[in-house]
Amino acid sequence: MALLGKRILIAKPGLDGHDVGAKIIALALRDAGADVIYTGLRKSPLYIARVAVDEDVDAIGLSILSGSHKEIVVQTLECLNELDASDIKIFVGGTIPRDDYEGLIAAGVRGVFTA
Amino acid sequence: MNPKSRNSRREMSKALSRVANASVSETLEEQKSIPINNLYRIGVTGAPGAGKSTLISHLASKRVQRDRKIGVIAIDPTSPVSKGSLLGDRIRMETVSDNPNIFIRSIPSRRAHDGLADNTADILWSMEDKNFDEVIVETVGVGQAEYSIRSLVDTVVLVLLPESGDAIQAMKAGILEMADIYVVNKSDLPGAEQMAGDIAVTAARKSGVKEEWIPKVIQTSNNNIDSFRALDEAIESHRIWRSEKVNRDEERRARILYQVQGLIGRRIEELIEVLTDSDLDKTPKEIYEILIENLSKFPK
Repeated sequence: MALLGKRILIAKPGLDGHDVGAKIIALALRDAGADVIYTGLRKSPLYIARVAVDEDVDAIGLSILSGSHKEIVVQTLECLNELDASDIKIFVGGTIPRDDYEGLIAAGVRGVFTA
Repeated sequence: MNPKSRNSRREMSKALSRVANASVSETLEEQKSIPINNLYRIGVTGAPGAGKSTLISHLASKRVQRDRKIGVIAIDPTSPVSKGSLLGDRIRMETVSDNPNIFIRSIPSRRAHDGLADNTADILWSMEDKNFDEVIVETVGVGQAEYSIRSLVDTVVLVLLPESGDAIQAMKAGILEMADIYVVNKSDLPGAEQMAGDIAVTAARKSGVKEEWIPKVIQTSNNNIDSFRALDEAIESHRIWRSEKVNRDEERRARILYQVQGLIGRRIEELIEVLTDSDLDKTPKEIYEILIENLSKFPK
């Protein structure tokens, strides 16, 4: 199993009430061997960063369907940095326009995965 | 929080991961001496869906009001198929999830089949010197026979649902004998009163010895947050009772024994995993002898 022993936080930041996709990703990661933690809906970047530190995760998957992915990604990275946890990797999924991929990667996102 | 304390929280968090992920040999290497036990340990157990996680979030918020720092170890099952896990307890603890005085760590059960996780005893040891006052351990959702939590904690809270009448009958010889405090959760549902009464009778009957702790039965409901105050107070009275009545030496020996049993059990599983096909073509007696021989070597 490719992800055996990896801890991954799946997070739903901001005002966005749809988490079917996030839950499917969580299950797929579990099936790949990862230990997956899900934050639940409508969490702030600071909340997500604090949970990531307490759970000592290797990566955070942000599921964003609200359109505010740029702001949320930047804030989450800032919060991780504040908490001395900038080594935790971030990947993003949801409704992300292709034109925005490059900007997100430049900001520090490791991967963008959309349907 | 100032930058330094943030930093130390991350260090503490990483240190806990190292203990949780350690193999048997790493665990043995790390065990330099037996730590002094100052951390009060509360175990919360019960069937899947009984409401353990939500109850812990209410309980933790009451405990921090007593000016204590609380650690929560929430165990969820590892998938026997993928070896991965979905650690969902934290979702039910949202209201306390970013309280600076509460630290929640979700851990997968891994090889353990007793309601706890690999290395639970060592995780609790490692929390002794990390500024916690109390730790709450949430077991995997259990049936009647998984009561190892009894061996590791000071106060066992068993969470039940009003409709689980038949389950109560089945549990009589197992976990139902092990608890210090019984909680009938979701007590706004019909049958709660009746069930609380039944348990109180069963629990009181076991008490033959003078000065024995008589288990408390409490009804709680998420629709009445104040109902969790009674649970908080019951734990406090058990804590006081224990401080006067429990033989700490006996208890420490029982805990160490559980820890050793866990390590040997896991070591055997590690050794079984590396058996080859040609080993498995032998008779059970021969395989047994191979395992015993390998077990006698210090794990590498």
